[in-house]
Amino acid sequence: MKDKLEALLRDGAAKIEGAQTEAELQEIKSTLLGKQGSITELLKEIPKLDVSLRPEMGKAVNRVKSLLTEQIEGKREDLKLKASEISPDFDCTIPGFEPKIGGLHPITQMCYDLNDAFRSMGFEVFSGPEITSEYYAFDNLNFPPNHPARESMDTYWLEGHDTGDAADKLCLRPHLTGDSVRYMQTHKPPYRFVYPGRVYRNETTDARHERAFFQYEALIVDKDFTYTAGKVMIKSILSKVFGQDVPVRMRAGFFPFVEPGFEIDMGCLVCGGKGCSVCKHVGWIEIMPGGTPHPNVLRAAGLDPDEYTGFYVNIGLDRLVMMRYGVDDVRLFHSTDLRFLKQFH
Amino acid sequence: MKVSLNWIKDYVKLPEDMDLSRLAYDLTMSTVEVEGAERLADRFDKIVVGEIKEVLPHPNADKLRVCKVDVGAEEIKDIVCGGSNLEAGMKVVVACPGATVRWHGEGEPVEIKNAKLRGVASFGMICASVEVGLADLFPATEEHEIMDVTAFGAAAGTPLAEALDLDDIILEIDNKSMTNRPDLWGHYGIARELAALYDLPLVPFEAYAPETKETYDVRILDTARCPRYIGARIEGLGVKPSPFAMQSRIWRVGMRPINALVDVTNYVMLATGQPTHVFDSDHIIDHIEVRRANAGEKLQLLNEKELELCEDDLVIADAEGAVALAGVMGGAKDSVLPETESVILEVANFESRGVRRTSLRYDNRTEASSRYEKAVDPERCDQALSLAMKLFAELYPEMKVTAFCDQYPNKLTRAEIDVEFDWLDRRLGKRIPQEVVANKLGKMGFEVTFTGSGMHIVVPTWRSTGDVSIKADIMEEIARMYGYENFEATTITTSFDGAINQLGVDLVRRVKEYLAFRCNMQEIFTYPWMTDEFVTALLPSTEGILALATPPAPNERYIRSSLLPNICKAIVKNERNFDEFDIFEEAQVFLDRDYTSAYRGESLPAQKKHLGCAFVGSSDHVSELFRRAKGVIGSMPRYTHMEGFTFEKLEKPYWANETVWLNICLDGKKIGDLALLSKKSALACGIKVLSAVLVELDMDAFVPFKSRTNRFSRVPEFPMNNYDLSFLVDSMVKWEEIRACVMSKKNDLLCDVLFVDEYKGKQIPAGKKSVTVRLVIGSGEKTLTGNEIEAVANSVLKRLAKTIGADIRTA
Repeated sequence: MKDKLEALLRDGAAKIEGAQTEAELQEIKSTLLGKQGSITELLKEIPKLDVSLRPEMGKAVNRVKSLLTEQIEGKREDLKLKASEISPDFDCTIPGFEPKIGGLHPITQMCYDLNDAFRSMGFEVFSGPEITSEYYAFDNLNFPPNHPARESMDTYWLEGHDTGDAADKLCLRPHLTGDSVRYMQTHKPPYRFVYPGRVYRNETTDARHERAFFQYEALIVDKDFTYTAGKVMIKSILSKVFGQDVPVRMRAGFFPFVEPGFEIDMGCLVCGGKGCSVCKHVGWIEIMPGGTPHPNVLRAAGLDPDEYTGFYVNIGLDRLVMMRYGVDDVRLFHSTDLRFLKQFH
Repeated sequence: MKVSLNWIKDYVKLPEDMDLSRLAYDLTMSTVEVEGAERLADRFDKIVVGEIKEVLPHPNADKLRVCKVDVGAEEIKDIVCGGSNLEAGMKVVVACPGATVRWHGEGEPVEIKNAKLRGVASFGMICASVEVGLADLFPATEEHEIMDVTAFGAAAGTPLAEALDLDDIILEIDNKSMTNRPDLWGHYGIARELAALYDLPLVPFEAYAPETKETYDVRILDTARCPRYIGARIEGLGVKPSPFAMQSRIWRVGMRPINALVDVTNYVMLATGQPTHVFDSDHIIDHIEVRRANAGEKLQLLNEKELELCEDDLVIADAEGAVALAGVMGGAKDSVLPETESVILEVANFESRGVRRTSLRYDNRTEASSRYEKAVDPERCDQALSLAMKLFAELYPEMKVTAFCDQYPNKLTRAEIDVEFDWLDRRLGKRIPQEVVANKLGKMGFEVTFTGSGMHIVVPTWRSTGDVSIKADIMEEIARMYGYENFEATTITTSFDGAINQLGVDLVRRVKEYLAFRCNMQEIFTYPWMTDEFVTALLPSTEGILALATPPAPNERYIRSSLLPNICKAIVKNERNFDEFDIFEEAQVFLDRDYTSAYRGESLPAQKKHLGCAFVGSSDHVSELFRRAKGVIGSMPRYTHMEGFTFEKLEKPYWANETVWLNICLDGKKIGDLALLSKKSALACGIKVLSAVLVELDMDAFVPFKSRTNRFSRVPEFPMNNYDLSFLVDSMVKWEEIRACVMSKKNDLLCDVLFVDEYKGKQIPAGKKSVTVRLVIGSGEKTLTGNEIEAVANSVLKRLAKTIGADIRTA
C-alpha cells in the first residue's frame, strides 16, 4: 500500500505538472481527490488494515492528499497567470492616444491668469459696455476737445449716432479707461479692481496693428497711496504671470487721463536685459502705460482728488500673449483658424 | 524728432566726458523717449579727403579715367573713376577699402573693396555726393559729377567727418513721447531739460530791440486765433546759399537746406521750436492782416497745392488777398523767390486747434503746423525774433530793418499753482528737501515762493499753454527731476473686509471652461462687425441692427446682433482643414433698441453677453451632431452650477432646418436656440460639405447658484439591473412619449429608463423604427431574482404595446 501511495503521489504530481488548462487540472483533481478518486479509494481501504498499521497509513495518505491539493492549487495559480500573459512582441513605442480636448483662446488664458493674480491681491473683476458714449470714452477722461483720438480716423462711431453732444455720440469703445469711471460711480471707495476687455480702433492693420484688440486695466484708488506702491503691484503681477522675478522700471510718459503718467518697461526675458533683437537692444520692453488717475477723472467719478489718489495700469494683453508664445502676427488672434488656436491647449 | 548734441551745446555746456548712453537713459527716464543715438562720423568711416595729383586716360575705357590720388598714405594711389569734373589739384572724397557707400545713391549700402576696373587696379572709389549720403549738402549739377571738397582746405588723408566738421551725435526722440510738451520741439527746450537734470547753466537769448521807428502795418482781425504777430521788413538781403555750418546743422536733423533766407527760418524753428516765415516784401501789398478766409477764397501753397478755403481757416493776407495759410504753409507766389531782395519776417503765434483743423482739412501737415498744434506759447516769439535777427545780421552785414511791429493783443497768462507740502509728501511717499525742489523747479523756469506750509508756483510761459495747470503736474515735475528710480518702493496695505464673491464673473468662466475642458470645444474670437453675405444668410432682416459710420470695409458695416454670422464665417474658414470641430464664442451683441441710462449722462443701446456654439461634422451623422449639441447644452447648468434649462418648441429660428430645432428656455422664457443650420443658409454662407448644429444663448439670463446645490444621494445597497428592450414603433413616435409611457405606472422596482438606440432602414418595415431602451430595475431592500426582473420588463412591454403600439422586435 505504501508503494501504491508513493506511485500515486509521483504520477499525480507529474499529471498536475503536465496540465495545460484549468479544465484539465480540474479533471486531474477529481480523478485524484474526487469522490471516486484514487486517494479517496485508498482512504476507504484503511479500515481494512491491521489496527496497528492504521494510524501510520492514515497519516501517510492524508499527507499525500494535502501535498497533491497544494500542488493543484499552485498549478491553478500558474495557469491563471499564464492565461493573462501578454505576448512579448507588444510594442511599447507606439504613441499614446491624444486626449480629445478643446481649449480657451490664448488671450482668455492670459486674462484668467491675470484675474487669478489680481484676485489674490483683493481686486474685483469688472466689465463695461462695448458701445459707449463719447462722454465716457473721452470727456470724463480729461481728453481735451481737440485730442486727435476723437477724430473718426481713430474711433469707430456708430452710424446715426455720430453727431451731437458727447452724451449722444456713440462709438465702439476705443479703450477701457471709461469703464473705470463707470465702476467708481457705482461703487464706494476705496477701489481695487481690474476691467479687462476688447477695444476697437479704426486703423490700418498689419502684423503689429489690429482693429480689435485686448486690454487689461487695473485701478487702485485710496487715500495716501504713493505711486511707488503701483510699481510693487506691477512687479508682483508680472512675476506671477511669467513665473520669475521680472525687473520693472517706470519712466516719464504722457496720457491725458493720468498725472503723473508713466511708460512702464519690463526687463527683456529673452536676453535677460543684455540686449537682443526682441528688445531692440535696449534690454527693456515697453509693456504698459500707467500713472496716477488725473484729478479730473477722479472728479468725474465723484471723488475729491485732494483726498483720493491711486494707481492705474493698462496692460496690452495681445502683446503679453505674443511675448509668452513668440507669436509674430497680432491678426492671428481674430483669425478663428483652429490650426493656430489648437496650439495653446 | 532728431536732435544734434553739438547744437544743444550752444545752449548748455555739457561736460566733455558726458557718457552718451547715460544721457540718453536720463532723458528717457525723466523727459522723452530717446529711441536711438547715432555718431554721425560713423557713417563716414574709412572715407577720407583725397587730392588728385594727375588724371590719366584709362587704357581700356573711354569714359573712365585713372586718377593718381594722394590719400594721406605713403604712396600715391591709382583710383579708376568715371567722374565728369575730375581735375588735378581737386580735393575729392575717397571711400577706402572697408568703407560702405551706396552705388549712385541707390540700393543697399555696399562695402568697398580693392578691385580691378577694366583691367586697371583701383584703390577704393572717388565718390559722388549721393554715394556718401551728402547730396542735400553737395547737390550735383550733372549726373557724373564728383563731390568737390577743395574749398574746405583739408589736407589729403583727413577723415571726411573731420574735414566737414561732422563729428556730432544725433539723438532720435520719439515724437509720441512729447506731444504734451510744446516747449521741447526745438533744441533749446531739450537743452533746458538737460540743464535742469544736470544742474548746469542755460545760455539765455538776448532780447531784440528794433532800431527803426517806422511801424510796419499789421492788423490782427481774429485775436483768439492769432494772439501775437511780429512783422519786420528787412532790406538788403538776397537769395544765396547759407553758410555750410548752418546747412549742415539743418541737414543733420533731417531737413533740407534751401537758401539762406529759408534756412534762417528753419534754423530758428529747429533751435527754438517757434516757426517763422519770410514773404517777399515787394509782393506784399500795403500791409499784413491776419483774418479768417472767405468761403471759397483761393490760395496756392508753396508745395503747389491749390486750396479752396473755408471760413474756419486762418490766413495771412495783404490788401489784395491771402498770401499764406496761417501756421501751416506759405503761399507760392509771395514767399521767397529767386529775385527776392527784401522780406517781411513773420514771427507769430497761432492757436493750436485751428491750425490742427486746417492742416488736417487739407491733409497738409508741416513742421510748422505740427509744432503749432501742440500749443506754442506766444512769449517764445521773442526768442525766435532774437535769433533770426542775429542770423540775418551775420549772413547779411548790410541788412537793415526798415519797419517793425509787435502786435500782442492776447497776452498769455502764466499759470499759478499752490502746493501744500503735506499733500506733496503723502503723494510722493517721502519728503524731498525744499531747496532741492526749489532748485529743480527753478532750473525749468518755475518761480517758487515758500509760504510756510507750502509753496506758490508761477509756471513759466512755455509750460503755461495747458501742459502744467494743477498741483499734480508740479508733483510730476518734482518726481521726474528727482528721478523716479530714487523713490523706494512702498508696499500696498490691505484692508481685509471680506473675500470677493462675484457670481456672474465666475459663472462666465465656468461656462467657458466647461465647454473647453469637459466638452472638447475650442474658443474663438471674431470681430464685432459682420460681413454682409453672412448677415443675409442668417438673419431675417437688418432692421434693428446698428451700423458703423466708418466701417472697416464697405461690406462690414453692421455690428453684430447675433454671434452666428461670424461663427458661420469661422466654419467656412476651418472646413478646409477639418472634418469635425466644435467651436464657441462668448461676446457682446448690440441692438438698436431698449436704450437705457445705466450710468450718469448717457443712454446706450441694448448690449447683451451672448454665447454662440457650432457643432460641425459630416452631413451623414446629423443625428449625432444634434445629440452632441443637446448633450453639451443640456448638461451645462448642472456642471456650471446654475438654474437649469428646458428644451421646447416655441419658435423656429430663421436660419434653422424645418424639423431639427429647439428653443432653450429658462423659467419658461426663451433664452436661446439650438438647431441644425438649414441647407439654404449653409449654402448662402458658403459652407460646402459639412453640417452644423448651431446654438446661441443669452448669457445675461443665466442664474448662477449662490453655492453648490446638488445633494448627496446614498449609493444603492443592492445591485441595480440593466434590462434592454427592443421593439418596433411608428417612426413618428417621439422618445419623450416612449419614456412617459414606460414611467407612467408607478412601480417601485423600475428606477429609470434610458435611450440606447434607434434604427430605421433595412429589415425595418416602412413607417416604423426599431427602438432599444434600457430599463434600470432594482430594489432598496433585496437582490432581485431573474423572475422578478423579467416580470417588471414584461409589464413595461405590455404597456408599450397597448399605449403606443409597440411591437416586440423579432429579429
